[in-house]
Amino acid sequence: MRRNEIRKLGSASAQTKRFGICMISPTVLLLLIMTAYPLVFTLIYSFTDYNYLKGTDNASFILFDNYIKLFKNDYFRQAVGNTIKFTILAVLLEMGLGLLIAVFIHSLKRAQKIMRTLLLLPYLLPAVTVALSWRMMLSSNYGIINQFLTSLGLPCYNWFLDTKTAFGAILLIDVWQNVPFVFLLLFASLQSVPEGQYEAARIDGADALHQFWYITIPNIKNSLALCALLRTIDTFRLFEKVNVLTGGGPAGTTSTITQYLYNYGIKSLDFGFGSAGAIVMTLLVLILSSFYIKRAMG
Amino acid sequence: MKKLLALILTLAMALSLAACGGNGSGSEDGGSNAGSDSGSGEATKMTLILRAGAYGDALKAGLADFEAEHNVEIEVQELSFDDLHTGIALDAVNSTGAYDLCMVDGSWMAEFTENGVLANLSAMGYSFDDDIIQATTDICMVGDDIYLAPFFGNVTVMMYNKQLIADAGYAPEDITTFEDLRDIAQKTHDAGKTGFLIRGGSADNIVSDFIPHLLVHGGWVVDENNQPTVNTDEFKAAMQEYLDLYALGGTMDKDDIVAAIDGGTAALGQAWPGWYVPSADTAASYTVIPTKLNDADTEKNTSMYGVWCIGIPNNAPHKDLALALLQHVMSAEVQLASIEVGGVPCRYSCLLDDDVLSTYPQYETVCAALESGVYRPVIAEWTQFTNILGTEMDNIIQGTKTIDQGLADAQSQLEDLMA
Repeated sequence: MRRNEIRKLGSASAQTKRFGICMISPTVLLLLIMTAYPLVFTLIYSFTDYNYLKGTDNASFILFDNYIKLFKNDYFRQAVGNTIKFTILAVLLEMGLGLLIAVFIHSLKRAQKIMRTLLLLPYLLPAVTVALSWRMMLSSNYGIINQFLTSLGLPCYNWFLDTKTAFGAILLIDVWQNVPFVFLLLFASLQSVPEGQYEAARIDGADALHQFWYITIPNIKNSLALCALLRTIDTFRLFEKVNVLTGGGPAGTTSTITQYLYNYGIKSLDFGFGSAGAIVMTLLVLILSSFYIKRAMG
Repeated sequence: MKKLLALILTLAMALSLAACGGNGSGSEDGGSNAGSDSGSGEATKMTLILRAGAYGDALKAGLADFEAEHNVEIEVQELSFDDLHTGIALDAVNSTGAYDLCMVDGSWMAEFTENGVLANLSAMGYSFDDDIIQATTDICMVGDDIYLAPFFGNVTVMMYNKQLIADAGYAPEDITTFEDLRDIAQKTHDAGKTGFLIRGGSADNIVSDFIPHLLVHGGWVVDENNQPTVNTDEFKAAMQEYLDLYALGGTMDKDDIVAAIDGGTAALGQAWPGWYVPSADTAASYTVIPTKLNDADTEKNTSMYGVWCIGIPNNAPHKDLALALLQHVMSAEVQLASIEVGGVPCRYSCLLDDDVLSTYPQYETVCAALESGVYRPVIAEWTQFTNILGTEMDNIIQGTKTIDQGLADAQSQLEDLMA
């Protein structure tokens, strides 16, 4: 009798397993087709001199030549440096400002909904639209920002074509657009912090800063980590704004890895070289994100 | 219960997949049934891929008549310079392409013809007539075979503000040497305004706009064997002269250059006719780029072509209709009408038409420039070539490298490229 019951339970467990596999198999299949397949081919192409117009038939294996060429290239090294610098600055600023705004909006007793909607607007716009709007606003001839500076008796800047200002201008635009994303995630996370913990802290005489540091931050740390991970990956792939506003110039000061790959891989249809760059970029993102991924998984 | 649920889900997935993949008997013709639609009465759908801006607008202006006459419906994709190049190239490997007609920059000609992207128009029965400015057709041919037709006569010109050059003591016809340019730029700069504007942004912009300055110094970017010649005395002298002009002005993008010169804050800037349509009432106009360094110098061809040509992709779905369309938009009648929307024909009859000249006198200037322009080198590696050269020139202009260092770096990288 008991053996029979155990067999039944075992069979039910196997059935559940089969059902589970059956349910996840379409997703796994889709992921394999959409992610693994292109990744494997990119890796293979990175060892060839594949030119898109000449076709794969005329491509030959050149082993690590693309990678050697890439690492020897000064512009690529400059692009890697710019990308890392940009990612660190943008993620820090976006996280800091996003958190501040989220805490502020969370503390509001009224108008929370309208503020939340208004703050989200920049994030809803496509990156190209944002870039073009800012290009108009920062134009050295008819831009509202330069006109404002002139009216204050301050000098005009050629924001996107001056080595001193181009990087900062793009950083500002990216931060402006992506702070709402951080705000939204953290704001949602703040809703789940138990009010009782604040009450207890207040009874114990904790001030606002102590409450923030010892209650708010520990409660939303997982969301903070997730936010930082998502923003790091996304910022590392920065392309549209740079391509529309500066094309990587002036003098390569705004060149990012993706812009470099576009200029030297895609535009010239040198897909072998471009693939090598894409693999290097993927590895860099993985290294940068490994801290967060490890935390999320463990 | 679970089995039943799994079965239902599997069936639902199979049905959705079948629904997504269906409709194989739609109206897609997929073949070369050009113009064979009249029997059914359904309009044939053609797709064009064009350069955005005045270039595409000029072509679109001539489409309505053709659509009505041939019972076709034309869809137009208008793209930026780089996206257009990539768009044509990416579609070229398909057995049946998406585009019937494409706009092609002359600098892509070698790359596209070497890789069989464009159809041989001569083999399809197309030929040039005498009205088309002969020099503009050179880039369109490989040997005796025509692959492209010159649609938009883009050629570098010197844009100026009428008042500011008058303030500097010049009439447009007095600007005959590069010394005159420097003199105007200096006087305007001394008066507290911008003397000369150069175009920044992409590497291609930087190289293209610099070439007239290189030509007047007797330099060129490659030798007769297509090997790079950018670390030469002529190139260095041209670069120095360019930097001197830059010191009297600045660098801007296209829209800002036009706005600054038209708005009276800058005197001079190199431009392309598609950027701006001057008239008697506008504050700015353009003239030919000077052909001499100074009065003692000999004349050289300094106008650089950027002619926008049209061609038919080798894998175009409706080749015969595309040829008819190409002939239609290249006709003198349609080209003349395109002037109203900013078009710059490559035909004498249009550029020198009395009515046209009375409204747009600058077309005489354009005609002269089109007769004696210089093409960029016809090499398949031109896109990579400009990337490298433009980036190093940008470093020099921005002061992060000296002329010697920048040009030496460019030369060694270009030698690797062309090896």
